[in-house]
This record gives sequence, structure tokens and C-alpha cells, in this order.
Amino acid sequence: MIDRAEGWRRRAPLLPALVFTIIVTQIPFILTLFYSLQSWNLVRPGSQEFVWFANYVDVFTDSQFRQVAINTVVMTLGSVLIAVVLGLLLALLLNRQFVGRGVVRTLLITPFLITPVAAALLWRTVLLDPTLGLVNFVLSPFGASGTEWISQFPLASVMAALVWQWTPFMMLLLLAGLQSQPSDQLEAARVDGASAWSVFRELTLPHLRRFIELGVVLGTIYLVNTFDTVYMMTQGGPGVASANLPFYIYQRAFLGFDIGQSAAMGVVVVIITLIAASFALRLLFRSFSGEEELT
Amino acid sequence: MAEVVFDEASRIYTPGAKPAVDRLSLTVADGDLVVLVGPSGSGKSTALRMLAGLEPIDAGSVRINGRDVVDVQPKDRDIAMVFQNYALYPSKTVAENMAFPLKMRGMEKEERGRRVRQAAEMLGLTEYLDRKPKALSGGQRQRVAMGRAIVREPQVFLMDEPLSNLDAKMRVQTRAQIAEMQNRLAVSTVYVTHDQVEAMTMGDKVAVLADGKLQQYATPPELYDRPANAFVAGFIGSPAMNLLELPRSSSGVTLGGIEIPLTREVTDAAGSRDKLTVGIRPEDWVLESTDADAASVVKAVVDVVEELGSESYLYAHLAEDTATTIVVRGPGRVKVRFGDPIAVRPTAEALHVFDVESGERLD
Repeated sequence: MIDRAEGWRRRAPLLPALVFTIIVTQIPFILTLFYSLQSWNLVRPGSQEFVWFANYVDVFTDSQFRQVAINTVVMTLGSVLIAVVLGLLLALLLNRQFVGRGVVRTLLITPFLITPVAAALLWRTVLLDPTLGLVNFVLSPFGASGTEWISQFPLASVMAALVWQWTPFMMLLLLAGLQSQPSDQLEAARVDGASAWSVFRELTLPHLRRFIELGVVLGTIYLVNTFDTVYMMTQGGPGVASANLPFYIYQRAFLGFDIGQSAAMGVVVVIITLIAASFALRLLFRSFSGEEELT
Repeated sequence: MAEVVFDEASRIYTPGAKPAVDRLSLTVADGDLVVLVGPSGSGKSTALRMLAGLEPIDAGSVRINGRDVVDVQPKDRDIAMVFQNYALYPSKTVAENMAFPLKMRGMEKEERGRRVRQAAEMLGLTEYLDRKPKALSGGQRQRVAMGRAIVREPQVFLMDEPLSNLDAKMRVQTRAQIAEMQNRLAVSTVYVTHDQVEAMTMGDKVAVLADGKLQQYATPPELYDRPANAFVAGFIGSPAMNLLELPRSSSGVTLGGIEIPLTREVTDAAGSRDKLTVGIRPEDWVLESTDADAASVVKAVVDVVEELGSESYLYAHLAEDTATTIVVRGPGRVKVRFGDPIAVRPTAEALHVFDVESGERLD
């Protein structure tokens, strides 16, 4: 039996870490809550006053906020799902034996290792630049030269960069899943008369289900916070066509200096994220509780 | 119903290396259960996988019902296989697992259901049809794997150590079930095991393999009574046959100071060899009184006594030559203990004599 004093003596060394965590996460959050109830614009000194929930009402009536929220969902889920599909195809490829597999695998992983800012810059200039970009160069024989990818398709351009960066992650995850599939089940299916497509649909896909769920949840958690790619490629523009919530809040806080409004948006986003994340994590824990593991 | 023929079939993993299966030739008669038995690395599983189409046949051929299947895909060979770890599909229920091979052949849903129910009844799985494999015990999983093979009504059953993951009691029980079912269905079956008891009890014929080579292909009594070489002699039977390298004497061999006469055929076949490998099964020793005539009995000292109830096995070393150990079967209740002297006499007519170098049987 450990008495209270002994308990505290043992916990004490952990206390600084706890205090530090509270200072850097909870205090800013409480301050944000406080600011979100105020009308406060930095460029108008003396404008600070309590307005209670007026900022929240504005958030839900702001048509730009709605547009940005939709952008965020499209950008996050779209990029994640496309990355999962591409990652799955590449994982299936890498799960086979072929000459040069090691080199191909390394090359395929590379996009994941590049700093997001550098990757965004690469996409904006080297790939998508209307006159000098590789994409237009490659497409020029088909009459697509001069396309202003970033201004004509801003959201799609940002998503292309995100998909490019996240496909390797999904690929690695799904490759691990593929390699954990027992080979005797595949052999049994061959003897049982299953075609390659049947084996994939009836056995491999169910086996990969939890790996796909893990990929989707992890990818969503990271990509919903995307800022650097948007900032570097489009600045959220034109208008808010390619802005997502983190970028829009940044814009309102540090370019519009509207502290109260952006704080309210931040609070709304945190609440939505908490709800979504708890559902996603429950799904994840359920599928990794070993429901389908044999032996 | 089919006849399966291995004709000089070989599997060579790396060119130039020793083949995993070396020119295997044997015929499985229609409706027979043939057991491939051997120690690990003997090529028995590889041979089965060649028949299944999961391993290529690098030389020779394999025929099912007269059709050469070397270039035939597993699914087109009309075989069903039971795997060592059962290889059930974890995301499917028992019923879906059993129906899978039928579904893959495009069978009508109703006919599938009918066949699955029939097989489930036969295997006592009816109440588990809606469960996932995870919720089944080892024995039940094994039966599902059997069921998945049965519903196909294939030409040939292939079984790769299907009992090795069961506990001892379950194994004996399932062994009898499989043998009974195979008799009833009369489907040619190739059964791989490393357990010689399974081989002896289940096989219509048994093929003993070692180092990728077929050692002997015969019925169980024949294997036991006339092993073709020293390897088979030592592998079949439990406890193993005593294999002793003995010097020749004028009319036989000498063991522990006594002379053991050999039959005329053996002495003729032995020619001028001055040593022979002589095999004596544990039950082919006669326990004599310790004060018997020293010229007719071998004296030994007991190391271990295994009492099994109905019989006992005495592990002993020879009094004259302590490096030579023998196993002797005794009655259920023996008085001897560790360190006691015993006197034994081999039954002359039951001896197996092999060449020392090649291990081949001499008569």
C-alpha cells in the first residue's frame, strides 16, 4: 500500500511536464475563449469590448466561412481518399517481385520525405507554372499549353500537391497490411478457384480494411491542419477558393487583425474537430481490437 | 474419382542444388488414401504442393486421371486442399468459407446453401454456420477446413498435416473421422504428415520420403514387416527399431558375445561383407531369466523403464559394450528398475538385415 505522501513523491517528477503542457495548451485555449467573446480589431485601438456571442453568430452567417468549411472537407477527404486509392495501387505493385523493386520503392517514398513548404514550392513553380512548368510541357503535344493551373484550378492544384505527398504514406501502410496477409489463405483461394480479382475483393480488401481505416484517420488528422501548402501555392485565393479553415483563421487574425472573430472561428473548429476525431478514433480502436485476427 | 500419378516428378528450387523432390514416381489408385510421410525437409509437403499446383513441376510430370497437369492452374485441377493452419478466410463466416469454392465456380446460391448444409451436418458444424473462424476452437476450425474441401466434391483431396495443430486427444478422434469420411466418399486422397502413427493408421498405402527421394511405397503392414532400407526401418515403428551394426560370424552375426544365425537368403545376399546392419524391433526380443545360459542370451543393464500399462519398454545398454543401446518390449508389469541386469534373446526369424553402407535390405 502506498500512502498519499509517497504517491505524490513519486508523481512529483512528472509535475513540470504537466504544468508546461497546461501553460502551452490550456491557457491559450482559455484566452481564445475569452477573446472570442469580444469585438477586438488590432488596427483600431480602443475597439475592444464585450459582445458575448455576436462573434459566433457572425461565424455561422459568414458565407465565406461556409465556403471555407466546404473547401476544408473537400480538400481533406478528397486528398486522403485519392491518396489511399493511389497508395493501394502502388502497394499492390510493390507487393510483387520484380527487378529493381528496392529502387522503385525508395523513389516512391521520396515525396513523403520532402518538407511540405518545399513540396508546395516545387508544385507551384517547377510543375504547374503556366510557361515554364513541366505539366504544361508534357501536355503541350495535346494542346493544353498555357493553362494557368493554379489560378484556374486552385483547390485541385493544392490537392494535387497534398495527394503527391501523402500517397507514399498510404502506400507504406497498405504494403505492411498486404505483407501481413497469410500466404496460405491466398493459396487456399487459388485452389478454391478464385481469380486474381476475386482474391482481391473477397480476401485482400477485407483484410486491408483496418489498414485503410487507419490511413484515412491519420491522413485526415494531418491534412485537416494543412497550412503551408495553401500558404505557399495559392494564399487561399483567388478569393477564398482554395482557403481551408486553418488558413482562413490565420488570414482573419494576422492579415485582418480581427482577433475576436478569428478566436470564435478557432473555437468552432476545435469543437467540430473534437466531435469528428472522437468518432474516427472509436472506429480505429474498434477495428484494431483484433476482431478478425486468427490464431 | 481419380487416379493420381507422379512420374519422375522433380522440384528444383535453385538450379544445380539438390532437388527438394527428386524424381518421385508413385501411383495413387482411385479412391485410395495415400500418406506421404517423412521427417522435415524430406520433400513431402513440396510433393503435395506440386500436385496442388502451388509449386511448379521442374521435371517429369504429374497426372490426374490421365491428364498431365504440369501446366494446369490449381483451380483447373479439380482438387481440394486442407492446409496445416486451415487457411480459413477470417472475414467470412463458416458458411461463407465453405461456400467460397462453390461461389468461385459460379454455382447457384441455392445449390451452394444445400451443399454447405449437408457438409455441415456431416461434420457437426450446423450450429456454427454463422460464426467467424475466430470464434471457433481448433478442432472446429479444422472441420470447417475439411468442409470447405468436401463441398467441392473434387477428384482428389490434398491434406497437408491437417492434424498437427490439434491436441493429442482431438488428433486421435479426428484421425478416425477423416479416415471414415474418406472411406465413405471414396475420393482419392493424398495426405502429408510427419507422424508415422498417422501414416500407419490412415493410409491404404504409405510413401516414405527422405531427402526428396521416395524410400518405399507400400501398405502399412508391408512397411512394418519388410522395410526396404534402414531409414524406413528406423522411421516406421515406435519406439524405433534397434539398428545395430554387427560383425559377421560363420553362420550369422555376433551380438554381445552370442551368435545370431541368419537365414540362407540373407547370408547369400550378404556375400563377403564383414559387417551388417541388423534391425530388431523392440517386440522381437525375448526376455530371459538372468541366470540363463550365457551362450544364448545377451546381457544388458537397464537405463530407463517406460511403463505404458499394457506393455513396457526397457531402454538398456549392453553389458559387454556399453556404447550400444537397445530397446526391449516387456510385459505390462515388469519388476526391473534402473541399473538392473536383464538377459534378452532376439527372435532369429524376425531380423531385418541391411547393407551397412547403402542401408538397402539384403533379402
